[in-house]
Amino acid sequence: MRRNSPLVPYLFVLPLICLLAFVFGLSLIRLVEFSFKQVRGIDGPWIGLRNYELVLGQPLFWESVIHNLKLFLTIPVMVMVALVLALLLYERLPGWRIHRTILFLPYILAIPIIAVVMKEMFQFSGPVNAVLTALSLDFMVLDWIGSADVALWTVMGLIVWRETALGVILFLSRLMALDESLIEAARLDGASWRQRAWHVLIPQMRGVIEFFVVISAITMLSAVFAYVYVIGGGRGGPGTATMVIELYIFNALIRTSLPGIAAAVSVLLFAVSLLLIWALFRVRRREEA
Amino acid sequence: MTTTARRSPTGAGMMDRRRLLQAGAGLGALTLTGGLAGRALAQTPTLDMWWWGEQELPGLQAYLDKAIAAFTEAQVTPMLQDTAVVISQFQTAAAAGEPPDLQYLWNGIYHMESVWLGYLAHLDGLMDDGLLAASNHGPLSRFDGHVWRMGWYPLPMPWYYNKDLFDKAGLNADAPPATWDELLAACEALKTAGVEPFGGGVQDGYWAEWYITHGLSQNLDSVGDAVNLFIGDLDFREPRYHQHWVKLQELRDAGFLNKDMASLGLYPGIDLCVNGQLGICSSIGTRLPADAKTTNGRIGCMVLPVFGQGALAGRPVVDMQGMGIAAGSEAKEAAASFLNFLNQPAQLASFWEATGWIPAASGFDDSVITDASVKDLWTRWGKGDPITNITNLMPGQFYEQAAIPTGQNIITAGMSGEEAGELAARVAQEWRDFNPDLVEKYQQWASELSAG
Amino acid sequence: MRLRPLPHLALSIASAIALIPTVFMLVTALKAQEEYQADKTGWPDAFVFDHFRQILFDTPIFLWMANSLILVAGSVGLSLVVACLAAYAIARMEFRGRDAILTVSTALMAVPPVVLIVPLFVLYTRLGLISTYGGAILIYAGLITPFSVYLLVTFFRSLPQELIDAAVMDGATHLQILMRVVLPLSLAPLLTLVIVNALFVWNDLLMAVIFLQDDAKKTVMAGIAVFQGRYNNQIPLTMAGMAVAAAPMLILYLTFQRHFVRGLMAGAVK
Repeated sequence: MRRNSPLVPYLFVLPLICLLAFVFGLSLIRLVEFSFKQVRGIDGPWIGLRNYELVLGQPLFWESVIHNLKLFLTIPVMVMVALVLALLLYERLPGWRIHRTILFLPYILAIPIIAVVMKEMFQFSGPVNAVLTALSLDFMVLDWIGSADVALWTVMGLIVWRETALGVILFLSRLMALDESLIEAARLDGASWRQRAWHVLIPQMRGVIEFFVVISAITMLSAVFAYVYVIGGGRGGPGTATMVIELYIFNALIRTSLPGIAAAVSVLLFAVSLLLIWALFRVRRREEA
Repeated sequence: MTTTARRSPTGAGMMDRRRLLQAGAGLGALTLTGGLAGRALAQTPTLDMWWWGEQELPGLQAYLDKAIAAFTEAQVTPMLQDTAVVISQFQTAAAAGEPPDLQYLWNGIYHMESVWLGYLAHLDGLMDDGLLAASNHGPLSRFDGHVWRMGWYPLPMPWYYNKDLFDKAGLNADAPPATWDELLAACEALKTAGVEPFGGGVQDGYWAEWYITHGLSQNLDSVGDAVNLFIGDLDFREPRYHQHWVKLQELRDAGFLNKDMASLGLYPGIDLCVNGQLGICSSIGTRLPADAKTTNGRIGCMVLPVFGQGALAGRPVVDMQGMGIAAGSEAKEAAASFLNFLNQPAQLASFWEATGWIPAASGFDDSVITDASVKDLWTRWGKGDPITNITNLMPGQFYEQAAIPTGQNIITAGMSGEEAGELAARVAQEWRDFNPDLVEKYQQWASELSAG
Repeated sequence: MRLRPLPHLALSIASAIALIPTVFMLVTALKAQEEYQADKTGWPDAFVFDHFRQILFDTPIFLWMANSLILVAGSVGLSLVVACLAAYAIARMEFRGRDAILTVSTALMAVPPVVLIVPLFVLYTRLGLISTYGGAILIYAGLITPFSVYLLVTFFRSLPQELIDAAVMDGATHLQILMRVVLPLSLAPLLTLVIVNALFVWNDLLMAVIFLQDDAKKTVMAGIAVFQGRYNNQIPLTMAGMAVAAAPMLILYLTFQRHFVRGLMAGAVK
């Protein structure tokens, strides 16, 4: 085919369109359709906005939303920890490469694996409490996964532990790409480490920090299923203490025979995720500009 | 993908590791025999069978392989299903018009929903009626005057108590507590002796379900009452219907529950009792052969001590696993004759031999049971006057949003029994709002069950 | 160089925290069951390898790994081809609908996988694709491709126009330009995609459980999920299972960790 035939670009994007249409296209249409139907089996009668009405009127749904929002609290923590660690690594102290290797390790471990390990460590009669007792820190001995007041915080701790690793690598790579002469100039001016970090380095990392924040926000909204599933005993427990939107959808679908309800919540979740992606796009565009 | 794929309380996770390892090793063999049989019997009818149970009853696979090889009227192709999809896989396939001929079925609502959706064929008139009745399918397999499921093997649900710990606390190990006051006294004695008295593990939720099985039924007069409660026709806010939760709160407030109860799963919780670290816990009969061996018969079985006033109070609970035939099967007669075949005395004996557990059918010669503990369990539960497990009547929504959270919240989050009753009543109302199309079916079911 | 105790200390503490769960997993896996019950934190009196022996020889772990490998290779490969072609066209050609395709593709990054289960399950049952490698590979490829397209478009746009102009002068077709000019310059982001996508597919549990129900098709994650169960208290054996399941990615990472990190860095934003 001739290079400048008008068909060429379409041939290039055709496989993409086919793949996405197959996996997402039909599915998303059915999803929207289901959200307006009372589905039994694989279909059901139209019921207008009833599913949305029911969901928005249910305390459990709002509890799930609030838990997702609480998970957003991990984001500033992750940003700060990752920033400090990246800046420290950037100092290239002796042995920094080993630290870099180790600090990224959590991200390599699969969530279903690491959550099982952590769940064991945080058992009431488990190793973490054993160590705390041995150190005479009895006041810190908590029922990490068994108490309704603590369980969500334990999940958040696990999320921070793993997802911060991505932040470290992202931030470090941005630092490595900086113009060395700027930093050298600051160093020669006698600026302390903290001054250099605050006035020279961090201002140039705004883009990557924003990127990490948006990526993390999407994670907190729609990619925490595996964490919660393992730590919350498969049900978002104890009680409903670790129930999140993804698990709400999963339960509606798999466990309570309500595909229509699951579809309605999915549509809501998708809409909110889209907003976040849109925000990401704006961030990137401003970066490029 | 429509339904309660919540797991039966005897879900896959319940297998212990040794059993799983055996199951894994058996897989290769199964594929092989299936393939060979296929070629040899090409002209006979073929039956697809989707089943589950190796997970809770190791040896079932070996038994089935043998039975299939011995069955000459049709070629049966078994597929062991994953726990999470036992129901949804069948329902989706049935909806798409390609169901298996034979399907494994958990009790009660776990198969009744498929009945209401028209996915199952009734077995009366299809199977041999005498054999069907003798399979002890139980009351929850009846609807609209028909029987929709064959009983395959029973699951007695005893409470364990550790006889050594009872001795240590100066209690009579041959006379476990029968009333609630006796239970409180026993717990006090155990606690004084430095033993954690009562509980298990509720982290994965099943303990909370089992507690309702034993506790709520004490204030019911029929299993139909249970349906009426779950769907909101009776009210959990009435004291008798949340008394079991008040009693659980009482145990918590007295400090009788084991302190790691909230972070342990169901089976590790039972292990505590077997290992001599916990006095009394809720268990399941299929575990007993192994647990009796581990403890040299020092595990006793009892029913939950009685506090309630209902007609069902104090009676042993036995759940039942089963098998059915898809409405969309093109070889229903052949499928039925395979089910008949499984109920022949020789097959029942082979079941026992392969699994070390008891098949449901009355035709089974139970004189082969030698272990004293298992024999005792079988005499008092299997052949006693048992009631069925009422949690099999719960809609999935009630199970997930009320049954499990109430128990967990009472144990871990300071919820009171009364608050648990309010939560349950609210969720029952929500279920009605979310499922207007099912209310009628449930009501018909409840009235049939109440009529007996 | 000045001795800097504070930064060293901070990094060491962070590294220790990052490492502890892995160490706990390995140490516990080597402990006897009885010893773990008595002492949950100490070093094993004697290393017990029997748990590893059980995992490796008494479970179909190698079958599970082979299945995971097939899925990773199939879906990551398919996705790369599809994404490279599309990203090249989007980044380097003018055509009607270009922006729309990119917008839609990028928006699909926001679809939580869980919402696709119902419609896809119904579709796959009708098409007979349940428990087939091909069916699962298509789903995984679909899930990872939007991010791949997004990343590659960004990268391809940053390549100097002169290089491509020169190739055009030489009379190269678009496919040739992509193969000979663009891709050789894009090894870093391609490596990023291979790593990120392989991790996603290898680590996924949700789709694996639902779309690969046949025992012979189980993935590592689905296999160990069943293995781990919920009612088990043989923690050392569980930990051995987790360690074996984590091993392939760990070994790959430690062996190629420079490439891992460099690849991820290359893919990172400015």
